[in-house]
Amino acid sequence: MVALTRRGRLRRITASVLLGAVALLSATACGAGSSILDKDVLVIGVKPDQPGLGMKKAEGEFAGFDVDVAAYIARKLGKNARFVAVPSSEREKALMDGSIDLVVATYSITPERKTKVAFGGPYYVAHQDTLVRARESAVTGVRDLKGRKLCQVTGSNSWRRVKEERKIAVELVEAASYSECMSDLKAGKVDAVSTDDLILAGFATSDLKIVNAPFTDERYGVGIKAGDLDGCEAVNKAITEMYLDGTAKKLLQEWFGKSGLALTFTVPQFEGCG
Amino acid sequence: MAVVTPTTTGPASVPVPPSAPVAAPTPTPSPPRALRLRTVPGRIRAGAGAAVLAVGLLFALMGVALGHAGDGLRAIGHTAGPQVVATADLYFALSDMDAQVATVLLAGEESGPGRQAALDRYDQRRAQADSAVLQAADLARGDPTGQLTVRAVLDGLGRYERLASRALLLDEQSRHGAGPPSRPALDVYRQATDLMRLDLLPKAYNLTLDSGTVVRHAYADESSAVLAGRFWVALGGALALAVLVALQVFLARRFRRAINPALLAATVVVGVLTIAGVLVLQRVSDDLRTAKEDGFDSVLVLSRARAIGNSLHGDESRYLLDPQRADTYEQVYLDKSQSVLYVPGGNLDKYYAAVDNSVAAFPGKADFLGFYGSEADRITLPGQREALAKVLTLYRQFQHDDRQMRQFATTGKNRDAVRQAMGASFGAYDGALVELTKLHRLAFDAAVAAGDRALGGWNLLLPGAALAAALLILVGVRPRLAEYR
Repeated sequence: MVALTRRGRLRRITASVLLGAVALLSATACGAGSSILDKDVLVIGVKPDQPGLGMKKAEGEFAGFDVDVAAYIARKLGKNARFVAVPSSEREKALMDGSIDLVVATYSITPERKTKVAFGGPYYVAHQDTLVRARESAVTGVRDLKGRKLCQVTGSNSWRRVKEERKIAVELVEAASYSECMSDLKAGKVDAVSTDDLILAGFATSDLKIVNAPFTDERYGVGIKAGDLDGCEAVNKAITEMYLDGTAKKLLQEWFGKSGLALTFTVPQFEGCG
Repeated sequence: MAVVTPTTTGPASVPVPPSAPVAAPTPTPSPPRALRLRTVPGRIRAGAGAAVLAVGLLFALMGVALGHAGDGLRAIGHTAGPQVVATADLYFALSDMDAQVATVLLAGEESGPGRQAALDRYDQRRAQADSAVLQAADLARGDPTGQLTVRAVLDGLGRYERLASRALLLDEQSRHGAGPPSRPALDVYRQATDLMRLDLLPKAYNLTLDSGTVVRHAYADESSAVLAGRFWVALGGALALAVLVALQVFLARRFRRAINPALLAATVVVGVLTIAGVLVLQRVSDDLRTAKEDGFDSVLVLSRARAIGNSLHGDESRYLLDPQRADTYEQVYLDKSQSVLYVPGGNLDKYYAAVDNSVAAFPGKADFLGFYGSEADRITLPGQREALAKVLTLYRQFQHDDRQMRQFATTGKNRDAVRQAMGASFGAYDGALVELTKLHRLAFDAAVAAGDRALGGWNLLLPGAALAAALLILVGVRPRLAEYR
């Protein structure tokens, strides 16, 4: 009888120790935090109003280079993609509160943003360039804009790169959007529009030309929640494959080939996830 | 677990006089299991068997845990870890090759020995790049995407060398003073540097990031396996001890003897083995963490900083070499500077000023980001703060000289600008960075060596101790069983 109770106690102790062990092990397994890799459907933020990059076609339906890149990444990750429009000012917030899983929306990687979110990629390095009328021959680089009229879009910083950083004496003419700039350029109200070459390429028509004299690097990254290292690394792997299997070249030519822009078909230098 | 239960569960209730000993190997047919366990020798055998099994379990658990510890150390300390650092060197070697070509083209016939020195350094870096590509290929085994990338780098390197030699040849054919080379030489160099900067360097950099991922996964997997193993070893040890103590108590009561010395010795061996095992696993897991966090991570970050810093220096030469692209090279220079040490500043003038302020405030406060920001966030080694402060001071000096160089260039003093760009400030800064990296490298090596030492000998000690414990158990119960023969 004595033996019985002692053994019973031993068994209870063994059982509780084992239970504790299981609890401990499962706790360490779950401590890693959430990753996009654990989801079935990825909510991806894109631009609704950027021709060639992200344009809204219908409810939940978007088209453009960014959208195709995002769809490729989602496919490589084995996920379904749901696209939503995300305003530029809300990209960090949406990633941080988890309402959006990825942002693929001409989202430049900057050190300030990296304090809040992480970046896969860049999937493309765009360059600021200059768009002029096709018959213009005196402008071969940004320095030739001296004394000419440059379109200044409200809320965009691109004109600063010319006037403030490069200290080129241009005459600024305000416009509400890049599409307005384009009609002003055609109408002769301005002499040049200067911003990321992919954005310019989206607007390019036969009576306008890109001068192909880039003077900045703009690294378009895939925004992802900070700390999701596994997700970020998987995105990078997908981007590497996109360049290796020729999809990147095909997409770039499809969306920007007609603009006459000098495109880069090799994989960009990644930012690094950690 | 079943070993502790049997006596109470037997359905058969054949009354056996407790005082009647039954010879152990009973004649056929042997009595049912429950009956056998009701006999004293049967119980002794069951107890001894359980104890030996528990020791065996402990041996297996400890073997698995020590195996993970060994794998973790091997991956981080001896294979993948050092290879990652080697691929980081690939980026450095490649970007320095291009920087040396730019230097030669820029120097012209101005400085004869300087030209030769740059050419020698070019050859040296090419050899370094070749061996680093081999390391990267080794690391990419089993990763098809990585292998394709390595092959593309190898192909590109061949093309780059052809272009670079042609540019140098064209340059020799049209002698010029310090400053931009002849038009044909410049055209070919542009192709070469575009290939390097837009194609090869990004791939090399991504390879380093990829292999960093390999190490991160190895570390995460093995270190959690080691910690879990430590727990299971403790549990297995406790179980073995419990069985041994129970056996001891049973024998003492049954045979009215004070203590069984052999069993006691087995208990001590198991106890010591368990404690030593838990301690060594703890130790190795600490060493793994130190090697990874204080050593590897920092070495990787600083190698990236050095690689980017070197191409930064190359961008100075290229800025002077190719006036048409000067704007791009200047902006790229600012971008790279900000990834090395980030302080807000939309243009170079603002950046220089902000660097001055932030470096002056260090080590009192570290209000900057970028590679040096993450280094300043984790000061764990003795002498690290001072070494970092030195790097930052020399970095500021380098930026200072850069500003001077650009002032010369924009005011038409080409020769002064070239001399400034080739000045000693970059070398001094780079040297301090190498020193800082070495500090982490030493911490890494020390942690790996400590882990290796802690694991050393266990491949003999563990089976030896387990075998000894098992033998002691058998030796301990043998005389008691003999009493029933």
